[in-house]
Amino acid sequence: MNRRLRNALKGLLAPDADRRRRAMEPFVRATFDMFIRYLYRYLGNEVECEDVLEDVYADIWEDPERLRHAGSERELIRTVYMYYMRKHLREVYRRMNRHMYLPQKDMENLVAPELGILDSLSQAELGQILHRAMGRLKARERRAVELWMEGMSSRAIANDLRTTVGAVKMLKSRTVLKLKKVLNEYCDKC
Amino acid sequence: MADINRTIQELLSDYAGALRDGCVPVFLKSLTRQEGQTITSCGEFWDATQVVRALNGVGFADKAITADVGLFISRVDAKIASRLKKAKTSPRRSSRRRPSSERRALPEHQRTEETL
Repeated sequence: MNRRLRNALKGLLAPDADRRRRAMEPFVRATFDMFIRYLYRYLGNEVECEDVLEDVYADIWEDPERLRHAGSERELIRTVYMYYMRKHLREVYRRMNRHMYLPQKDMENLVAPELGILDSLSQAELGQILHRAMGRLKARERRAVELWMEGMSSRAIANDLRTTVGAVKMLKSRTVLKLKKVLNEYCDKC
Repeated sequence: MADINRTIQELLSDYAGALRDGCVPVFLKSLTRQEGQTITSCGEFWDATQVVRALNGVGFADKAITADVGLFISRVDAKIASRLKKAKTSPRRSSRRRPSSERRALPEHQRTEETL
């Protein structure tokens, strides 16, 4: 954990509410990028991310005790996710779910009930591991994922790969499952 | 997402697309009852969502970063101020005491709850 973040965290743990309020600014500055990237994994929508994060910071201000023992960035993000973010994410998903057929319990699975190994990795670590894992994919699989990550639709990817939309969807889901296996192997080694 | 009775692979692909484009509610609304049941019973789908989230984070999370956090900080501060205000007003309401004559009229178990 860098010094800036450590100092911000120290101020946040003060017993006085006003002092904590003043300490929020450096804390938000030190953690905003990290937290919003993390939330984006689940929401994919920057406006929704900011709304949730606003509540998360207010909760942290109200009861920062959970963060007392966070010694590293990974621990910090894990604690914040488990005790502050997850309940708000669930509320958002529950709100989204009001028209549909997924049972509430399965809906909550979309917001990881427990953090898996992949979920607890930082952005940089995840990027590195993913880069290595992509190297183990077949050229066609890698191309499909790369195009998808460029923001292309299934139809556009199908045009590029000269195949059908259905085949692209199959390829994507097969590749995702393969990636999961490879990523788990890397995570086990770590 | 207009198809009906999509296979699990198609559903996963559509979920990934929806998460990427920030329109998960549209995906959820597009599910039929049968598709909902398919998803519920398929462990593969839930495994794959973890990777999809990771891909989403690595590929697109930069979109969520704002250049100036100042505006966001002022939103957080306003939220804290409103919570502070609420905290200050709520105890006053609860601490309003009834006149002593009324308190005496309460049964004993209720009086204990009040002091607690």
